Formats: sequence, C-alpha cells, structure tokens
Amino acid sequence: MEYNNKTLKNYEDFKPQLESIGKYGYFFITIMVAIIAWGTYALYIQLSQGQVVTGMRDYVIWGIYDANFIFFIGISYAGALISGILHLMRVEWRHPILRMAETITVVSTMIGPSYIFLSMGRLERVWHILIYGRIQSPIVWDVFAISTYLIGSFIFLYLACVRDLAFMRDHPVGVGRWRNSIYKFMSAGYRDTPKQRELLNQLIDLISIVIIPLAILVHSVLAWIFGMTLRPGWHSTIFAPYFVLAAIYSGTGVLILVMFVFRKIYRLEAVITKNHFTYLGLLLMILGALYGYFTFSEYLTNWYGSVKWDMEVLHRLFDSSTYWWWFFFSAFLGVLLPIILIALPRLRSINTIVFAALIAVTALWVKRYLIIIPTLETPLLPLHDMRPEFANYAPSWVEWSLTAMGIAIWMLLFFLFSKFLPIVPVVRVNSADERDYFKLRKLAKDRILRRMIRKNRHAKKIVASVLVLLFLSSAVVCRAEDPLRSRLKLEFLNSAGTRMLNAKLTSKKDDQTVPLQGMQVSFFVQGAKDKVLLGKGTTNDAGKATFTLPGKLDVPRNTEGKYSYSATYEGSKEYQSSESSADVRDVFMNLTFSQTDSAKIINLVAVEIGQKGDSVPIDGSMVIFYVPRTFSLLKIGEQTIKGGHADLDFPVTLPGDSVGNLPIIAKFEDNENYGTAEVTATIAWGKPLPPLVVIKRGLGDTNAPLWMVYTLIVLLSLVWFHFTYAIITIFRIRHLGKIALLEEQSHTASN
Amino acid sequence: MEKNSNSTRRNFLKLGLAAGATALIGGGGKVLSAVSNPEPASKETGEKVKLLSPDGTLVEVDKGHCHACPATGKEARQGIPNKKMVMVVDLARCRNARKCLEGCQSMHHLPPRIEWIKFFLLRDSKDTSPYWFPKPCFQCNNPPCVKVCPVGATFKRTDGIVLIDNDRCIGCKFCMAACPYSSRVFNWGEPEQAALPEGKKYSPETSWPQKVGTVGKCDFCPDMVRQGILPNCVTACPNGVYFYGDKNEDTVTNGTETVRFSELVQQKAAYRYMEELGTEPGVYYLPPVNRLFDYKVGFQDLTPEEVELYKQEANISE
Repeated sequence: MEYNNKTLKNYEDFKPQLESIGKYGYFFITIMVAIIAWGTYALYIQLSQGQVVTGMRDYVIWGIYDANFIFFIGISYAGALISGILHLMRVEWRHPILRMAETITVVSTMIGPSYIFLSMGRLERVWHILIYGRIQSPIVWDVFAISTYLIGSFIFLYLACVRDLAFMRDHPVGVGRWRNSIYKFMSAGYRDTPKQRELLNQLIDLISIVIIPLAILVHSVLAWIFGMTLRPGWHSTIFAPYFVLAAIYSGTGVLILVMFVFRKIYRLEAVITKNHFTYLGLLLMILGALYGYFTFSEYLTNWYGSVKWDMEVLHRLFDSSTYWWWFFFSAFLGVLLPIILIALPRLRSINTIVFAALIAVTALWVKRYLIIIPTLETPLLPLHDMRPEFANYAPSWVEWSLTAMGIAIWMLLFFLFSKFLPIVPVVRVNSADERDYFKLRKLAKDRILRRMIRKNRHAKKIVASVLVLLFLSSAVVCRAEDPLRSRLKLEFLNSAGTRMLNAKLTSKKDDQTVPLQGMQVSFFVQGAKDKVLLGKGTTNDAGKATFTLPGKLDVPRNTEGKYSYSATYEGSKEYQSSESSADVRDVFMNLTFSQTDSAKIINLVAVEIGQKGDSVPIDGSMVIFYVPRTFSLLKIGEQTIKGGHADLDFPVTLPGDSVGNLPIIAKFEDNENYGTAEVTATIAWGKPLPPLVVIKRGLGDTNAPLWMVYTLIVLLSLVWFHFTYAIITIFRIRHLGKIALLEEQSHTASN
Repeated sequence: MEKNSNSTRRNFLKLGLAAGATALIGGGGKVLSAVSNPEPASKETGEKVKLLSPDGTLVEVDKGHCHACPATGKEARQGIPNKKMVMVVDLARCRNARKCLEGCQSMHHLPPRIEWIKFFLLRDSKDTSPYWFPKPCFQCNNPPCVKVCPVGATFKRTDGIVLIDNDRCIGCKFCMAACPYSSRVFNWGEPEQAALPEGKKYSPETSWPQKVGTVGKCDFCPDMVRQGILPNCVTACPNGVYFYGDKNEDTVTNGTETVRFSELVQQKAAYRYMEELGTEPGVYYLPPVNRLFDYKVGFQDLTPEEVELYKQEANISE
C-alpha cells in the first residue's frame, strides 16, 4: 500500500504523541489514577454498606448518579449525531474532528450506563434483567437501546479508524511491539485496493445512517423512563425530543471543549482551525436557541395550566431558597450566554466559543439535576418527614467521589486512546480536501512537537475488589414466670348436632390477658350425685382446650332440664387453680330452604329436647343468621323464633362461590338456655362468581403486548442486520487484503 | 395447598382461632409439637402478637405461627383463588393513633423507621377542615409500579394484591418513581430485623425478611388471608378505621363489625384517592363526615416539630 509523501510527513508530526506520554502526561495520569483509586474506595463503601451511604432516600430515590447517566449519554451525541450528519452531508471541514467526536461517543457510552449500575440497590443481580426481563419496562428498552448503541458506536469508530490502523501497521511506532501487532490485527488487512476502498466507504455511509436514528431512540427511551411515570415535571409528551435536543446541545459543547484541549496539548492549531470552532459554535448557538425554545414551551405550559403539582415543582425552581440560582444558570445563562457570545461577530473568538461551550455543558448537567431532584422532592401526597435527609437531597461524598471517578475514567480513556491512534485522522478519504489539509500541515510547528518526546514506561492497571456482607441475627427472649392467678371460661358449643365444650384458660400479666398454653383442663358433667369426669384436654397456644361430647350422656338433668357442665384447671407452681361451669339445654335445629316465585326464604326449625326425649318447640329466643366469610361471619338477619319456626328472606344479591354455593348458619349466641348452638346448611342461592378474566399480555403482566414485542424485534433486527453486515464486510475486506498481499508477493517473485 | 387453606378457614370459623391454628399446624406438619408438647417449641420466636378471634376477643399467639404456611415460588405470584382483597378506610374514625403502624411493624418485624403505613393531614381547600388520612399501599388494579418493573419483581396477583419478590428485585427503584402515592420504601442499608427462623423459606407473601437494596411496602398480608386471620393493622386500630375483606364475598370487616362491602361504599359515598390517575386503587376511603374526633386530637402523641410540619402541609395557620 502506498502513501504519498504528505501523508507520511503528516504522520511524522503525530508520531511523537503516539510514542511518548510526556512529563505532563504522566502527571495527568497520576492524578486521574489517584481520583479513580479514591472513587474505587467510595465504590467499595457503597457496595459493602448499601446505598445508605448516598444522599438518596425514600423520596429522592435517584440522585446525581442518574444525572450523570443522562449527561454522559447526552454528550455521546457528539459522535453519533454530529459526525454522522456531517459525514453524510459531506461537510468538507469535518475530517480533523470526526475521530474526536466518535471517541466521545464510545467513551461516554461506556461510562454513562455504569452510573445506572451505581444507582441500583442490588448490582450483583443485574443479570436478572436477562432472565426475567419484561419488555413493558422502559428500563429494558434502555438496556436494549444502550447496548446496541454502544456496539454501533464502536463499529462506527472502528470503521473510521481502519485506514489509520493500516497506515500504522505499515509505519510501526518506536515503542511497544505489542502495539504494532494490535495495529496489524485491527487493520483488517486493509491495503486500499479499489474494492476494499469501495466497501469501506459504503460501510461508513451505512453505519452513519443507522447510528442517527439509533442515537435519537436511545435518548428518547431515556426520557421515557421519566416520561412514563405520573410525576409532575416528568409526565410530559415533549420529554423525548427535549432530551434529544438537550443531548445534541451538550454533545456539541463537549466536542468544542475536546477540540480545544487537544489543539492545545498536541499543538494542532494548523489542523483544527478557528473555522472549526466557528462552525461548531454556530451549531451550538442554533441548538441552544432550540433548547431554550423547548424549555420555555415546557415551563410555560406547566405554568399556564397551573395544576397543583406542576406549580409546586415550578415554585421550587423559581424560589431563591431552593433551586432558583441553579435554574437561572441552566435555563437562562446556559441558553442566552452561548447565543450572545456566538451570535455577535465582535465577541466571537475561539476563547469565547469555548467558554460558551463550557457554560452550555455545565448548564446541561445542572439541567439534568433539576429534572430529577425537584420532581422527586414533590410527591403527589404531602412530604412531611422529620428526617431532613429524607425531605431534601444532598449528594454525599460517595456520590461526588464516584462522579469524579467517572469523569476521570472518561478523560483517562480519551487520553490513552489519543496515545494509541492519532486523534486526528492521518489518512484522508477525500483527495480534494487532502490538499488543503497538507497545506495546513506545513504550517505546523514541528519543532515544538518534537519537544514532547520522552522515553517512558506504561501506566499500571487498577483492579477493584467487591465485598458483599451478609447480616444474620436472631434473638430469643426468655422470661421467668411469676405465680399468678388464672381464669377459666367454659363455653358450650352445639355445632350441627356435635356438642363441644370449649375452655379458655388465661391469666393477667402486666395488665394484659395472656393465654396459658400446654395446661391440662378437666371437663365434668353433673351426675345424679357427683360430678362425672368426661375427659381432659390440653390448652393450645390460644389457651383453649376442647372436648367433644359423646352422642348421648347418661346423666340426669337438673330441675330446669339442663345439663350442668364444668371445667377445672388444677393449677401449677406458676398459676392458681380455677374453674368454670355452663348449664345448657339440648336443642335440635334444622335449616331448610323454600322458594316461591322470586322470594327465597330460609326456614329454621328449632326445638328443645324435653325431659322425656320429646321435642318442645322453642318460643321467643333470638336466632341470628350468618354467612361465613374469610375473616368473620357476615350477619344477614335475625329473627325471634315463634312456635319453633323462624323464617328469613334471603338477601339475593349476596355472592356465593363459583357456582353460587353459600353456607348459611343459624345460631343461638350465648343463649342462657342453649349456650352457643348453631346449624349450617348450604344452598346454591348465592350469585355465582364471575369467571376470572385474566388479561394476558397487558402492561402489568409477565408477557408484553404483542405489538411491543413485534416493534422491538423489528427495530432490533433492522439495526443488528446492518451491524452484522458491517462485521461480515470487515472480514471480506480482510480477505481481499490477503489476496492483494499474495498477488503482490507473487508479482515480486515472478519479477 | 388450596384445599388445605380452605379447610383451615372453615375449621377456623367453626371452632375459633384455637382450633384453626391447630388444624393449620397439623397441615403444616412441622410445628405439631407446639400443641402436644407443654413446653414451648424451640421454633417459637417467643414474641407474642395480638390477633382477633371471630368471637370478638383478642388473643395472643406466637409470631411464628402467623407466618405458618405462606405460598412460595410460582404459587406466591398467582394469588389466592377466587379472592379479591379490598380495604375500606373510614376517615371519620381516624385520630392518628398510629396503632396500625405499630401493629404492622410488629407483624412484619420492621424497625421503627420503616413505615409501610403513612399518615397525612390532608386539607382539600382552605375553607374545609383538615382530616387524618392513613395510607397503606393501595394495591392498584392498574398498578403503575408493576408496569415499569424491569424484572417482574413486583407483580399483581389474581387476588388483587401487589407483592414484591425481594429475591428478584434489582433495586432500580423505578417502581418507587412510578408510584404516585409514595407507598414504597427502600431498604437503603441492611434492615435491622429479626432473621427468618431456621427451616423457613422466604416468601413474598410475608415480606419477611426485608433485604438491603430492595424495595418494600405494605403487602395486604396474604399469608394471613390464607389462614383467615385479619392483618394486624386492622385489629390493632382502636377505632375500627380499617375494614378488610374479599370483594368477591362482598364482605369487609374491621374485627368487630362485619358488613356488606357494596352497602358500605355505596351508602357512605366511598371514593378512591386520586381516581383520576387511572390506577384503580383497591383501597376505598369513606369521607370524613360526622367525625368521632377533632383532628387536633391527632396531635397529642406528636412532637411539636411534627405538629408544626403537619400544620404547614395542611395550611393551618393558628
């Protein structure tokens, strides 16, 4: 592969910055590594203690991590949109700044999402998104979008680097053999054959087209994370385009700053001219005006509509005791100052444009802060937490440290990349502007560049360690019991003919009634002379002991025709003895149901069992009708029994089970004659439960609505088809390169 | 499991809590010794909790039994068949006693600062009177929190309950941002909580234990529903503010009164808070008319600072 002399000379100028890091370079790396080390410590603190070390709390659940996330994804627009558009428009002056722009994209897209991980409570479960992911969640959209975007911007950057990589392969740098082998590997056998050149140019155009809608989608999805919630200041339809615009604005700003820095440190005055600053400055001005227009539109609508919560957020933004100065900086200074500085030709210079870009970039970071925090401090229900850190957010040192760490990694990666490949493309695509370019190159001050050569060693690696603490504690409280009085209460229960004695044993302790568990209670019935022991029972944890009476009791009844039951508790070391009795008459109850026309009637027959075993109709006692429900009995009516009969109209609106079955209970409650006696019968008079309508594929279900699945598949396959095509074509270029090399060799041999 | 819990319920209704707990323990098969053995079994936590038996008396049982057999795994995501749990909160009876919160924290082993029930002093306009507004999770039927969860860690069940699986939650807090009612809280640090007794599996139905870096909230106590026991907030309230029950049975109860749900909400003009958001809450409020207490009664247990903050929020000038 042949390169003209100008390219070679051009490369000579870049060789020093590739071969040495320099005194200042090492100083810079040391500082960055120190910041990263400190940030790693902060990360360790957060991972080991939880997010309690951040300033985030139950109301302000997202903080500067999320502001950083939006910010970094925002500045990644420099490469994706700006270089994509400039490339497709064949803007002549784009070449020297393309690589910087694309590198901004890749580095920012690498740093940005890591802040989402920091914002997560359980970082180690991030793989759950892969196995449990729900397509309905905007976070999952984001996972798809950002990962695709990152791959896309890598491909984009790589394609634009292939020519330089091939050049570097042919002109090895002086230090580091491993670097030359990387160049060789990554140059994909590119030898600039006509076919290879055609394929590469095609690919760059293709990916430029794909990356633009992809980038727009990425930031729209990001905006939708906020827009999909019902929060004031977030739930806005213009949020997606607003975010996209803010992103291009800050991306352009960062590109200007990066241009300025590399122009200074690598003496690129001849390559990156004032024109570059002016053009990008004018772009920044237009974007600033658009951003200002969106901002105005958003807040004007909120203010005019004057919904309570929108007004509360606005009040926070415009109140000098809360966010006014920040808001003033981000929405007024951050828009007006760049416009004024760039629009007026008298003020327009490289320094003022860089200053304007700096204002725009910082204003946009503040803007992201103001999007997140004031809204979270304005919940729909009032916020009255006595803990100031719950009511108002202030980032903790951990959050600041990790923010600084992100910026440090960003700058370090950028710097190291500029040591790996020339930060300005060396080999040009377009021969027309190559001429201008080399004219400019001659003006470069070679002498100053050469001063930068230093022999140095490579920077060291830093490894972060992760610790997870497990916390387990158990406490068993044992107390010594004091001798106390016990209380026994006996109840008679006749449930559908089964007669039971329930005894409840309790004691008073610290003015509280507590059940006595595991105690033995004896049940008796009064015989002809003495009490007859029926049986014994042990109290359960509710203090209850139960005894089921046999079908027939062979004991005489007292003068009132009642059986006399009693229960005793013998007492123990801790508790005194106690007893209780209950005198009841046996009853017989029966429930039937009758229906005439639309009237549904519950019929109860209730008779006493007389001395001779005969039936005596009950008269005058109150009986209550119930329906059993989950937690308790629902009373549906009460009747006084007359002549052994009681009728009740059935409440027809009452729901039953799936076929309408409904148990009905008729009950005497603590009756002086009958104790508690009840009878249950089931009738299918209840309203049947409507069949459960299970909506599958709703927003709240496990599976997503089909249109969402299809949209996602179509979008992803469209993008990934192009990415795959690009990767296959790279291999094709590599193959073509091998053929070219072989031909060249055989040509030389035959000669 | 289903048949089991059903029979448990019937026994419970017939025989009262004692027999219910016995059947349940029999069904569980694990803690049978607790009944037959006079000595307290080692699995008991020793902590007692108050429950209301259907005969209207308060009983104390061991906390461990309240979490006797919650559903785990897939079943916990399904919901209890044929149920649709709802709550009706009678604002006319609330005096900010906060006993429900204490009951909730005791039931769920929560430290004092984790509050799943919150109390607001609301005032709709300057001409109207302030009123206390206790707020559990609304268990929305169109839950914004469930929609946005990236991993399905929070889910809506057929019985109307929205639960959180603390084993699946990744802690992104998107659900907290999406909830318009501030119902969700986050475990920022390691929760100061009693550990799960040995041999017990975590279930989203008990929300115990809470885990650091995950979200928590009021869970409507589905494990209690399975046993037919009212949640602690309902029974702990001295004024019967909370009515809880199954909408499919058209019945709610506050422990002492059991009423038809439809009659209660229709006759007392119940409303759902911020219905206009389209969240379709499962919690209904009865308007604060004919109140039992002046709202100022609610200040008596608060610190002066808290009172000041409440007054500020409700625009009370005096």
